[in-house]
Amino acid sequence: MKPWVAILAAVVLLPVFVRHAIATEIWIFAIFGLGLNLLMGYTGLLSFGQATFFGSAAYVAGYLLKYYGINLFLALGIGVVVGAASAALVGYLCVQRSGLYFIMLTFALNQMFFFTAYQWTTVTGGEDGMPGIPRPSVLGLDIHGPLAYYATVAALFLLSLWVMQRIVESPLGKILKAIRENELRAEALGFDVPRMKLVAFVVGGAFSGLAGVLYAMLFGIVPLEAIGFVFSGNVVFATLIGGSGSLYGPVIGSFVFIWLSESVSAMWARWPLLLGVAFVIVVLFFRGGVVEAWARFWTWRAARRAPDRVRIDAPR
Amino acid sequence: MKISLLVSQVLNGLATGMLYALMGIGLSIITGVLNIPNFAHGALFALGAYSLYTVIQLVGNFWLALVLAPVGVGLLGVLIEYGGIRPLYKAGHDYQLLLTFGLSLIVTEGIIIIWSPVGMSQLPPPLLRGGVDLGITFYPKYRLFVMVAAGLLVLGAWLFLEKTRYGAIMRAGIEDKEMVSLLGIDIHRLFTAAFALGCAMAGIAGALTAPIRGLNPWMGVDMLGIAFVVVALAGLGNLLGSIAAGLLVGVAQSLVALFWPEASVAVIFAVMAAILLVRPQGLFGIR
Repeated sequence: MKPWVAILAAVVLLPVFVRHAIATEIWIFAIFGLGLNLLMGYTGLLSFGQATFFGSAAYVAGYLLKYYGINLFLALGIGVVVGAASAALVGYLCVQRSGLYFIMLTFALNQMFFFTAYQWTTVTGGEDGMPGIPRPSVLGLDIHGPLAYYATVAALFLLSLWVMQRIVESPLGKILKAIRENELRAEALGFDVPRMKLVAFVVGGAFSGLAGVLYAMLFGIVPLEAIGFVFSGNVVFATLIGGSGSLYGPVIGSFVFIWLSESVSAMWARWPLLLGVAFVIVVLFFRGGVVEAWARFWTWRAARRAPDRVRIDAPR
Repeated sequence: MKISLLVSQVLNGLATGMLYALMGIGLSIITGVLNIPNFAHGALFALGAYSLYTVIQLVGNFWLALVLAPVGVGLLGVLIEYGGIRPLYKAGHDYQLLLTFGLSLIVTEGIIIIWSPVGMSQLPPPLLRGGVDLGITFYPKYRLFVMVAAGLLVLGAWLFLEKTRYGAIMRAGIEDKEMVSLLGIDIHRLFTAAFALGCAMAGIAGALTAPIRGLNPWMGVDMLGIAFVVVALAGLGNLLGSIAAGLLVGVAQSLVALFWPEASVAVIFAVMAAILLVRPQGLFGIR
C-alpha cells in the first residue's frame, strides 16, 4: 500500500514543481516502461525494439485523429490495439530464437518499421514527422489545457499501473517469472513457453501503444524518432536505472530519465553525447538501479543501527 | 528494362553484399566469442570511414589510409573491451547492451563534433577512378575493387579462423569458453583480440564504403541493423553463411532499388522477416 501512497502524492505534487509538459511526459514514459518491464524484468526477454509498437500506434492513431477526428476513447483503444498487433507480429518472429539472437531480431525489425516510416512520407511525413495531431475533448471536457491533459495522462498511468500489478500478480505473471528463472523447467512443467513469451510481448506492446498515442497528443506531432531505435534504447535505460523486475522500477526510472534528458538537452546541442556518457557511467558503476541502491542503503543503515547484532555475513 | 542496368544493379548488390558480409563476420566474431550484443558496431563502421577521410587529408595516400583506418578502430576496440566490456561479462545482456548503445551514441556524437554533422564525400584513389567496359555494361572501377577487396578480406578471415592456431582458439572460444580457459589459454586476451578484430573489420568495411556512399555521422545506423540481419540469418561464427546472407540481402536491396527505390532499405529487413517466417532457425540452422 505504501508505494501507492507515494505515487499518488507524486502524481499530485509533480505539476506543482515541474513544467506540465515534462510532468506529463514522465507518466507517459512510465507507461512505456511498464510494458517493457513485463518483458525485460518479469519474463527475461530483452527487447530492443519497443519503439516499434510505440511509434506504430502513434502514427496510426495520430493519422486517424488528424484526418478523421476520432474521439479520445477510440484513439486510445486503437493505440492499444495497434501496439498489441505490431507486437504480435514482431514477437512471433522473435520468440522462436533466444539470447542474443532475440535482441538482434527485435532491433532489426525495429529498423524495418523505422525505414518504412522514414520513406512513407505521404503518410508519416518522413523526417519532418506527422504534425497537427489534435487533442479531442472527452465527455464534453476540454483537455487542451496542459493541466487538464496532465490529469488525463496521470489517471491513465494509475490505471496502467494497477492493471500491470494485477498482471504480474496473476498466475500469468508467475508463469512469466518462472520462464525468467528457468526456461527449461517452466517447459518441463508443461507451460507453452514460446506462447507465454508471445503473450508477454503482446501485453507489453499494448502498453507501449497506449504510451505512443498519449505522446502524440502531448506534443501534437509524431516525430520520426518515436519509432527509432534510440527511443527503444532510452526505455531500456529508464527501466534498468529504475530497477527492472520490480513493479515500480520503470516509474522511478522514467523520472530519472526524463529529468536527465531534459536537463542535458538544455545544456548542449550535442546532448546525446552526455546521455551516452551517463549510460556508460550507470552501467559501469551503478548497476542494479535506483530501487536496488535504495534497498542496499536501508540494509546498510539497518546494519549500522544494530551494531550489537552478530554479523555473520561473509565480507564482500 | 535494359539488361545492362540489371547487370550493373546485380554487380552493385554483390559489392555492397560483400561489405555486409564483412560487417556480419566482424559482428559474428564479437558476438560469438564474447557473448555480448555489440550495438556499437555501426558507429565503429562510421568511425572507420571518417578515419580514412582524415588520413587521406593528412597524408594524401588512400592505400595507407585503408590500412590505418581499421588499425585505429581496432585499437579503440582494445580500449573499449578493456575498460568497458570486461567488467560486464557477468552482468547480463541488458547492461552490456546499454554500454555498447551508450558507446555508439558517444562515437556518433564525437564524429559530429570532430568532423561535421553535414555529409562529406570522398573520391576513390586516382587509380580506381572511372569505369571499365564489361561488354554488357560500363561499370565503375572502384566498385569492382570493393568487391574484390571485401572478398579477399572475407577469404582472409576464413583462412585465419580455419587454418591458423589463433583462429582455432577463437572458434573454440565460440564453442566453449570454459573449456578453452581450462586448457590454459588466457581467455581475457582472447576476448580482447576477438573484439579488436571484429571492430577492425567494421572499420575497414566503413573505409571501403566511404568512396561509394560518402560519409555522414549516421551512416552506421542502417549498417548495424544489416549486420544483425546477416548474423541472424547465418548463425554465429558461420563464415560461409555470412557471405551467403550478405550477398542475398545486398542483391535483393539493389534489385528492389530498380523499381521501388524508397523501399530499398526496409526490404533488407523484410527479406529477413520472410526467411525467418519459413525457417525460424535461419538459413543454415543455429547452434
